[in-house]
Amino acid sequence: MKKSALQYWLRYYRAEIRAALLIQLQYRAAFVIWLLEMIIEPVVYLVVWSTVARARGGEVGGFSPEDFAAYFIVFMLVNHFTYSWTFYVFEERVRTGKLSFRLLRPLHPIHSDLAFNLTYKFLTLVVMLPTGIGLTLAFHPAFEFTAGQVLLAVPAVALAFGVRFVFEWAYALVAFWTTRIMALNEMYYVILLFLSGQVAPLSLFPDWVQTLSYVLPFRWMVAFPVELLLGHLDRGQIIAGFVAQAAWLGLSFLLLKWLWARGVRRYSAVGG
Amino acid sequence: MESDSAAIVHARDLTKVYRVPVRESGLGAAFRSLFRRKTRDILAVNRISFDIREGEIVGFLGPNGAGKTTTLKMLAGLLYPTSGTLKVLGYPPWKREKHFLRQITLVIGNRSQLVWDIPAADSFELQRAIYNIPRDQFRETVAELTELLDLAPLLRKPLRNLSLGERMKCEIAGALLHRPRLLFLDEPTLGLDVTMQRRIREFIKYYNQRYHATVLLSSHYMADVEALCDRILVIHHGQLLFDGELDELIERFSTYKTIEVQTRAPEGDLSRYGEVIERSDGYVSLRVPRKETAKVTERLLAELPIIDLTVEDPPVEEVVERIFAQGHAGPAPDEEAERAPGTAGGRGAS
Amino acid sequence: MRVFLTLFRVNLLFELAYRSNFFVQALESLSHLAFSILGLALVYSHTAELNGWSVYELLALVGVFFAIGGLIGFIIQPSLQQFMQDIQKGTLDFALVKPVDAQLLVSMQSMRIWKLTDVLLGAGLIGFSMWKLQTAWSWLRVGQFALALLDGAIIVYSFWMIMATLAFWLIRVENLLVIFESLYEAGRWPIGIYPGWLRMALTFIVPVAFATTVPARALTGRAQPEVLLAATGMAVALMVLARIIWNIGLRHYSGASA
Repeated sequence: MKKSALQYWLRYYRAEIRAALLIQLQYRAAFVIWLLEMIIEPVVYLVVWSTVARARGGEVGGFSPEDFAAYFIVFMLVNHFTYSWTFYVFEERVRTGKLSFRLLRPLHPIHSDLAFNLTYKFLTLVVMLPTGIGLTLAFHPAFEFTAGQVLLAVPAVALAFGVRFVFEWAYALVAFWTTRIMALNEMYYVILLFLSGQVAPLSLFPDWVQTLSYVLPFRWMVAFPVELLLGHLDRGQIIAGFVAQAAWLGLSFLLLKWLWARGVRRYSAVGG
Repeated sequence: MESDSAAIVHARDLTKVYRVPVRESGLGAAFRSLFRRKTRDILAVNRISFDIREGEIVGFLGPNGAGKTTTLKMLAGLLYPTSGTLKVLGYPPWKREKHFLRQITLVIGNRSQLVWDIPAADSFELQRAIYNIPRDQFRETVAELTELLDLAPLLRKPLRNLSLGERMKCEIAGALLHRPRLLFLDEPTLGLDVTMQRRIREFIKYYNQRYHATVLLSSHYMADVEALCDRILVIHHGQLLFDGELDELIERFSTYKTIEVQTRAPEGDLSRYGEVIERSDGYVSLRVPRKETAKVTERLLAELPIIDLTVEDPPVEEVVERIFAQGHAGPAPDEEAERAPGTAGGRGAS
Repeated sequence: MRVFLTLFRVNLLFELAYRSNFFVQALESLSHLAFSILGLALVYSHTAELNGWSVYELLALVGVFFAIGGLIGFIIQPSLQQFMQDIQKGTLDFALVKPVDAQLLVSMQSMRIWKLTDVLLGAGLIGFSMWKLQTAWSWLRVGQFALALLDGAIIVYSFWMIMATLAFWLIRVENLLVIFESLYEAGRWPIGIYPGWLRMALTFIVPVAFATTVPARALTGRAQPEVLLAATGMAVALMVLARIIWNIGLRHYSGASA
């Protein structure tokens, strides 16, 4: 019984990924161009903070321009791995009733999004990796990876993706209650930009923001694996980070379940 | 269970009330509505009851907004009823249990559930994985559907490159891969040309007979219903106005036919042949009692310089309008229609 | 101008019917503004100046960034997107048969009125930073700023126009314009901070520098006459180039559809 369930999921994901590949390969030009934003933001902040560091005589908050380069290049890659966009598309599914078909499938719609997202990640690595190498050549980052850090970073990135994907999928469900989702998304994105460490390493923020970042999920979505990989964290911080990630993953699941049950109930009250 | 054991759908006093926000104009009101919304209830389906047996093809008729789509969606599990009893295949549909979902399918005309950007064959593979269809059964079903619907030249092209009719054929095939016992077809022939409509009708009939599947169909087109359905449910203003065989429906309510003539003397008074319901440059539409159609046609051809003449059943909306009007006093609001007093067989003849 | 006013009125009336869109847009603009200001605050909590720009000078730059961005979002982007769609669907003919210059017409056929919020916010930011900087006004400076801003607007418009016109030959040009949108984000910061290759790209390939940094420099009294001259030259050149490509494209279009 167990075995056949596993087989079902393997077969299902294989089929879903195959379909996603077929779709995404058709839109490769558009996909590559969408990546630009993922690349340009970190480069801009890399340049801004390097300029600040140079103006301050070579370093700010313990970061030299080379450290900033390392931070933002690694950030770009980790951000790529954990990126999710469900909340941009979910409102349309609700509004147009496309969700109805997904509801009538004998499995939860989150699976097809997950397969699509993972396919996109690995397909676009073809662009992200060379970009990372190119930026490395252009900005001379100070990388010092130890094997241990790299080994620990792998589960940290995976968990970060899990937290972000599940949390944002749950957040996307707000679309069941309001169609004015664009403005909300914009606000969510601004918060994410700051508190996930995209604008600057979180250690450069005022103390109260840092404190806030520890209790909210955003730090664990990107900044934590980046700092871990770059060796900014001691053993205690690493353990705390993994615990926080696990906790947020669990919480996000509960939130998702709770919102989904209520959202679908509402959806099936007003009609799809 | 107290109902007929062969009943695949069992509905008693099924009711659906929508609560919709009332929009007010003005900035202040828009702002207030952020905090407290005024709502108003709309009764979309009002205490309807019916049973459907395995293997039936049942047509849901009614104008837009009559409640037929709401009913279908409740049966399919997309809407939960406000009150009443509802069992479909023995399940409460709104819970959308996996065993229930595996036995049903939903096709909506003009809407796509296959992936737009890839060929149908690839979407089929995905359906196979979703419904966990055994490989052999899948091959067999695809081969059969391909032959019946003539899909061979379409399966390898991306869906978006197909015409509406071709796409609909693929949609229907995709919806049947898991061999559902119960089919919900909401306007499946919407926007298709006549040949394609016929094609799809024939296929639905075949599928029903071959697999003893139950089909619930809603359509605007009388022809769909005529060709397919043994039984009709007419829903209007949320109420079930008629439940019975098609012949009975036509016999009882479609007591008229419409004759459209193009004549060289359009100014002439045609009211002695029937009720004039429309008149526009050279064309005149007459409403004539069903039984007298042949006689009146003969007279028209003999007595007038006719260029062209067609006889049609009134559109579904009109039949339904008639059924509805019968339940209430007064004629349907025909604009500009001068009632012709002379003709025999006024309303309420049946 | 009359055409513009008429179109503006029509669009305004239409939008007024959907006033709640205004709140959505306002919320969006405010988030965007908060993002800019918080970013600036963070950077300037660690330094007093960035590449020779004080915090209020940079705030003025952000103001210009908002104003030009708002202008793009208000009229340039919606109109030209419509234009590209028309080319692809072959429905451009409607614009061509009107007794108005067709380039002008397609350039302002569609407006998103509420995007003007960004323009207002930008103007507010500019005013606020000027007040904070205690600027001594001179006609020269106002003139320089106005000229630089005009140049910037013309350059951005012409760039979009040229890109959009490429739709006569290529499909999916929209993607090229997404590149512009992404790169425009870089214009939030003074162009001088970027390394040489990137600065070149942001000046000559995608003319972001002229749209934001150059007007902001003029505004804060640091206009370089040769740069202003170059901007004006570039504006004129791009405008002429856009017109030439437009004419060729039109000939191509009527040749193809005839």
